[in-house]
Amino acid sequence: MRPSDLIQGTLDLLILKSLATEPRHGWAIAKRIQTVSGDVLQIKQGSLYPALHRLEAQGLIKSEWRQNETGRDAKFYSLTKAGHSALETELTQWERLSGAIRLTLRNA
Amino acid sequence: MARSLDILRFRVRSLLHRQQADTELDRELRDHLELQAAEYVARGMTPDDARRAALATFGGVQNVREEARDARGVAVIENVLRDFRYTLRALLHEPMLLVAATLSIALGVGGNIAVFSLARAVVFAPPDARDPATLVNARVSHGSHVSYQRWRDIDAGGALERFAGYSIEGEVNWLDAGGAGGAAVSIVPMLVTANFFEVTGTPVARGRAFSAAEARMELDPHVAVISHEFWQLRLGGDSGIIGRKLVINGEPYTVMGVLPSHLRSVAGFGIAPAVYLPLNRSLGPDSRAPKATIVQLVGRLKPGQGLAEGRAALDALDRRLARLDGDTLYGGVQDFASVNTFRTGKEARTIGLFLAVLGVVSLSVLLIACANVAGLLIARGTRRRQEIAVRLAIGGSRARLVQQLMIEGLWLALIGTAAGIGLSVAFMRVVNSLSLPIPFPIALNLTTDRAVFACALGLVALTVLTCALLPALRATRMSLVPALKREEPFYIVRRFTARGVLLTGQVMVSTILLVTAILFVRNLVRTQVTSPGFEVNHALVAQIGFVQGRRDADHATFLQAAADRVRSLPGVAGVAYAASMPLTVHTGSSNGLTARIDGSAQTQHVEFSREIVGPEYFSTMGIRVLGGREFVETDAAGTPPVAIVNEVFARRYLGGKNPLGQRVQFKEDSSDFRVVGVVANSKMRTLGEDERAAIYVPLKQSKKSLRVGFVITRTQNDPTALVGPVRQALGALDKSVAVSVEPMASALQFALLPSRIGASVLGTLGLLGLALAAFGLYALVSYSVSRRVGEIAIRSALGASRGAILRLVMRDATLHVGVGLALGLAVSALITSPLSAFLVAGLSTTDPLSFGGTALVFILVSLLASWLPARFAMRVSPVVAMRLD
Repeated sequence: MRPSDLIQGTLDLLILKSLATEPRHGWAIAKRIQTVSGDVLQIKQGSLYPALHRLEAQGLIKSEWRQNETGRDAKFYSLTKAGHSALETELTQWERLSGAIRLTLRNA
Repeated sequence: MARSLDILRFRVRSLLHRQQADTELDRELRDHLELQAAEYVARGMTPDDARRAALATFGGVQNVREEARDARGVAVIENVLRDFRYTLRALLHEPMLLVAATLSIALGVGGNIAVFSLARAVVFAPPDARDPATLVNARVSHGSHVSYQRWRDIDAGGALERFAGYSIEGEVNWLDAGGAGGAAVSIVPMLVTANFFEVTGTPVARGRAFSAAEARMELDPHVAVISHEFWQLRLGGDSGIIGRKLVINGEPYTVMGVLPSHLRSVAGFGIAPAVYLPLNRSLGPDSRAPKATIVQLVGRLKPGQGLAEGRAALDALDRRLARLDGDTLYGGVQDFASVNTFRTGKEARTIGLFLAVLGVVSLSVLLIACANVAGLLIARGTRRRQEIAVRLAIGGSRARLVQQLMIEGLWLALIGTAAGIGLSVAFMRVVNSLSLPIPFPIALNLTTDRAVFACALGLVALTVLTCALLPALRATRMSLVPALKREEPFYIVRRFTARGVLLTGQVMVSTILLVTAILFVRNLVRTQVTSPGFEVNHALVAQIGFVQGRRDADHATFLQAAADRVRSLPGVAGVAYAASMPLTVHTGSSNGLTARIDGSAQTQHVEFSREIVGPEYFSTMGIRVLGGREFVETDAAGTPPVAIVNEVFARRYLGGKNPLGQRVQFKEDSSDFRVVGVVANSKMRTLGEDERAAIYVPLKQSKKSLRVGFVITRTQNDPTALVGPVRQALGALDKSVAVSVEPMASALQFALLPSRIGASVLGTLGLLGLALAAFGLYALVSYSVSRRVGEIAIRSALGASRGAILRLVMRDATLHVGVGLALGLAVSALITSPLSAFLVAGLSTTDPLSFGGTALVFILVSLLASWLPARFAMRVSPVVAMRLD
């Protein structure tokens, strides 16, 4: 599946979720989402970086430069306080929505 | 809270460090690519393949960069800045549009700023005084002025904290030691009560003001505070002025202080007295008329006292004082207002009305200008239909387009307003240096300050909204397909397009302007040719200002001696003297008295103007004597009282009988005289007045003490040659009188002033409006012709005659102009009626010539404006036109 097939706003949710455990840089975020989804979700960089910058502009994530696993400087993103609470709200909403869709598909 | 701070910091950083943000992004993307490639290598690809595969999954690098930048929220600001640059470049490529729009807006904005400053200086500006909010103008009892005694009682009465009194009606003679021949000149003083400066807190720039204690009238104070302008212009800016003496009315006054420059006096209306003098024995109330009303009241509220409270207190006080005076009818407050609020009263209403008319007119000019600019932008927008359609089709956002078009309008408005401010500053320079031909020291100090710029800013906003919003919305609201194919959508041939409605409104407003303008120009022409009833050319008027204090002086003898001296000069054809001069501010007095004619039992009310004149007055003035005789030397004290009446008086009040020899008695002043002559009618106060009844009485039989006198000289040739000799002859008689000599034509300028100002201002604005409307019409018609070239070509190919094509093109123009004209004439008929006060008699505000003339001018102009494009349309060759698309 490509990000453009995802429901609008889902990419943001995925990014926030992948940052919930620890700070990551851009490539690691994409990799993480891809791995966790069993290679179903492949985030194109063309969508990833604008989304990251948008979330930063919204104050949900912040960035800092630090060394990555290969010892090079990389830009690491982490959730802000507002990001954490946004993630919670988004998750609840997502679960309600997907639950509703599942019910509808099963029973309608 | 913390979040919004984060966001703000992020945005500012992004904007300020745009370069850095981009570099960081580039690094981030490169790292990503490398990590991706490394992973592919780990899966067994060659480094080159891995790199290519990584790039392939990535998508366009530039795209990512743009989108990331957008996401950072910098885009909005960046885009606006870019649009500003882009639109300015685009506008510079269309110099015609830029020049036309700039000129239109500059004239509209400049005119409005000028009118705004004028209104502010004259009506709204508070005087320069301490805490003007608690300073009030008060009118009590009979009217504007109160007697000296009443002022003292009111000041002492404790209704307010203090009351001061002032008067600006008098004139004093100041001996100009440095002037020509050491002659005295008339200047206008502000006569004030001793406490004036303490109560009003009028600032003094040099020296100091006189205190209430040292300037008490009982001490007969001879001190003065002079205006900055008087000091600079008349006293040469003498740095040691404080302590010097000025000779005023023949008595020395010590200068105590100099006011700041451009001081706005408490009297308001831009009145700027040359000197402030405390009332003393010579300038104060006449001991023989203690109840004469001589000062206007200006009071200071007690701390914490409200306006209503102060008014009530003063009202009670004045009623009590009036009762003590035995005056039960009047008494109480007539008017009570802070000097901060704009001036009330009759004068203020007239001036305010004039300024309001001017304001409406100049705002209309701005609206016409905006309509023009809007029209230009709409036309431009339509010319760019294809470009706009392409941009919308490839995904340009409509908001962004509107933004760009609005910025274009903003540029035009800003450039135009800047030019307009420049224009108005130039205008203010001219006005400030101008001395109005009025016998009054009015200094309009028009300044540009925050209020003026706020006004300008408001005008810019108005201009942008009117000029740009409509075209912007219109240009982007189109169906793309026909526009891309350069096809004409149907609405182009619709009758009422936005431009059409604009044009109709424009024609309407211009019509109103032009009607008013023609009305005023006709008024001016008419006043110029209106005969005042006496001969204006080849005559000199010498105004002699007597010293007001010297009540014992024999003014009649002085005037006769003056006339005799002038008579001996070469080139003089006749000389007469009089106490008044028609059509100046010193006209005869208006009277309404109870008369008994020829001893009849019945009395009647008569209204007339009383002119006090000397021998040979009528032959010198050129007023025909219709019957009886002129006054002669022997009509003096001790001989039977006589009078001469004019035709109107004889017809109106003396019945059909021969007026000569009739006896007239007035009950009120117990005068009793016989009519010895009848003269032709003449104008007394204004050229526009209706016929006025007049009685002339011999100066030597009048008991009235004179403030001014006139010596009128009839010359054989050009009167200007005699100005110098007459001034010398009169000045040599008495150094303490003020003499001013000028040709009669210029002495009467005052009577022409209102219509002259009206004609020039409104005439200019009217022509401006007409030019703008004609331009708008021309643009509309030629534009619609250019859109319809194809249609016209097909019609003529199918055999339509040139006449049919002409009708086709002209139909639209005629419709818009016709509707606009009709509306404009109807509205004009309504709004010109308050203007009647400024017009001469016999010129009605619905003057058919003004209305007909306007209609004719508009029809001609619109024919011409649409003829030129129509001619082009008739010459369209079908072959050429077909190939155009």
